[in-house]
Amino acid sequence: MGLTVDLGRRIELVPMDLHFHDISIGLYRREGVAALEVLVHSYSRREGARERLAFIAEAMTVLGGMEALPGEPLVVRFPSGSDLPVAAKRVFLEACKRSSGEEIVPRPLAIFDKKSQSQVQVASLGEGLYEVTLEAEGERAARRSAHIAGGIAKLSGAGLVDGHSAQVALPNRQSIDALVGLLLVRALNVRAIVREEEAAASRGVLSAPSAQNN
Amino acid sequence: MDSGSPSVPSMNGRQRVMAALRREPVDRTPVCNPTSVATVELMDLVDAPFPEANQQADLMARLAATGYTELGFDCIMPVFTIIQDSSALGCKIQWEQKDNWPTVKMREPIWETPDDIRIPPDFLTHRDTRCVLDAIKILKKEYGDEVAIIGKTMGPWSLGYHCMGVEPFLLMSLDDPGKTKLCLDRMKEATIQFGIAQVEAGADAITLPDHATGDLVSGEYYRRYLRELHIEFAEKIKIPIILHICGKTMDRMEYIAQTGMAAFHYDSKNEPRQSIDIVKDRISLVGNINNPETLFAKGPEEVRQEVVKNLDAGIQMVGPECAIPLQTAIENLKEIPLAVRDWTREQAAGN
Repeated sequence: MGLTVDLGRRIELVPMDLHFHDISIGLYRREGVAALEVLVHSYSRREGARERLAFIAEAMTVLGGMEALPGEPLVVRFPSGSDLPVAAKRVFLEACKRSSGEEIVPRPLAIFDKKSQSQVQVASLGEGLYEVTLEAEGERAARRSAHIAGGIAKLSGAGLVDGHSAQVALPNRQSIDALVGLLLVRALNVRAIVREEEAAASRGVLSAPSAQNN
Repeated sequence: MDSGSPSVPSMNGRQRVMAALRREPVDRTPVCNPTSVATVELMDLVDAPFPEANQQADLMARLAATGYTELGFDCIMPVFTIIQDSSALGCKIQWEQKDNWPTVKMREPIWETPDDIRIPPDFLTHRDTRCVLDAIKILKKEYGDEVAIIGKTMGPWSLGYHCMGVEPFLLMSLDDPGKTKLCLDRMKEATIQFGIAQVEAGADAITLPDHATGDLVSGEYYRRYLRELHIEFAEKIKIPIILHICGKTMDRMEYIAQTGMAAFHYDSKNEPRQSIDIVKDRISLVGNINNPETLFAKGPEEVRQEVVKNLDAGIQMVGPECAIPLQTAIENLKEIPLAVRDWTREQAAGN
C-alpha cells in the first residue's frame, strides 16, 4: 500500500535543496551489487524534480569523475568499481550546491592555500597515487603538504601511503583526477567540513524544552 | 497478516495498541509512535512540509498517516511538535523551516506569577490547536477502524517551561513550592481542556509529555509536584494516557507507575528489563529505540537489535524513544515493524 520503495541504504541526505523548491534529495547505496553504485533519489513528486536529480547525477560525473550506469542516469559509480562511499557522499553534497543549468567543470589539481600563502599542487603519479606538494619549501611546507594529503584521504576514505605522508592512494589503483581536485578545495580546511557536518546532523533533532536554547 | 501468538486471534493495529495499553494479550507486540515519526522525505512524499504541516489540518493528517501507510506502525500520531498548545496560550514560536522543529521562544516568557496564568477563550479554536483537533477528525474518519489515533496534550511542567521560561520556572520550584504548585494547578486546565477536546475529536489514546526530565528534575521532584496531577489527568481524560518524559527516569518510574496512566513512553537511557522490573504490571511501557545514535546514525541491523532487546524484556509497545530526527532514514523506521514480526514468528516457531 505504500509509496516508498527499497532503494538500498541511504548514505547521505540533503534535507532541503535550495535550488529546487526545498525538496529533500538522498543518496542511496545499492545493495546486492559488488561495486559501489549510488542512486540519486527524491521522494518529491514535484514537476521538474527528476530533471533536478538528473542534473545532480550528471554533476557528480563531472565533479567527482564518476560515471552513470548505462540506461540509469540517476545511478553513478566510480571507475573500476572503486569503493569510496565517503567520497561519493562528498561529491553528492558538492553537486547539490550547484544550481541546475550551471556549467559544471572539474576542479584542477592545484589551488592557492591562504594558510601557507603558497600554491598547492597535487601530482597524479599514476595507478591511483597522488602527491601533494607546496610551492613553498621547508619543514612547515612539508607539514602542510602532509596535512592537506591527510584531508584528501579523510574526505575520500582513501589511505595515505606508508612512509610518504603527503601521498594518497585511491583504491583499485584507479586515478580519478576530478575527485582529487574536488576534494583538494575542502582538504585545506577539514575542520570546517567537520563543523558543517556536525551542524547538519544536529539540525532536525528535537530537544526537550530544558535542553533548548531559545 | 501477522503470524503472532497462537493463543490470540489476529488483531488490527488499533486493537493491538488498545490491548497493549490495557496490558491485555496481543497477537504481536504493537509498533507504537506516541510522539512523531515525521521525516523530511515523508514530507516530500505527501507534499506536507513543516512548518505548514503543523498549522494546517489536512497537511498534518496527510503527513501523520505515513506512519501507518508507509512505515507500517500500528498507530497514527499527528501532533508532531510540542508547541501547539503553547502557541495557543500565547507563546511566541520560532516556526523554522521544513528541516527543523518549531520551538517556543522561552526567553520571552508570557507569564511570571500565578495571577498571570489565563487560558485564553480561543485556546481550542486557535489555529494551532484547531489544526490538531481537525487532523484527528480526518484521521479518525479515514483510518480509525484500522489503527489507533493518538493525540497529544502537554503537561503543566512543560507548559511552565514554555510559558514562564525554563530558568525562572525551575528557580521558582526551588524557592517557592507553594507558588509553583499554584502555577501547575492553573496550567493543568490547559492540559485537561486540550486533552478532552482531542477525545471528543476521536483520539483513541493521548500522549502527555511533561518534561520533568532526568537532567534537571529529580524523582523526588516528580513525586512532590507531578504525581498527584498525573493521577488527576488519568481520572479526567477518559482515554488511555501515555506519559512521556525524556532522559533517565528510573528514579521516578515507581511514582509514575502509581498514577493510573496507561503507559509510559520511556527513553533509551533506561534499560528495558530494569524498567519493566520497576513498573511491573501497573503501567505499560513504550519505547525505547534510541534516536540520535541508532535511528538517525546507524542502520537497520542496529535498529533491529534494539527492537529485539525491548521485545525480549517484555516491553508492551515498541517504538522510537521520542520524536525522531527529521532526517531519519525511512529504511530504519520500516525495520521496526519488520523486526517485531520476525521476532514474533521466531517465538511462535520456538513454542
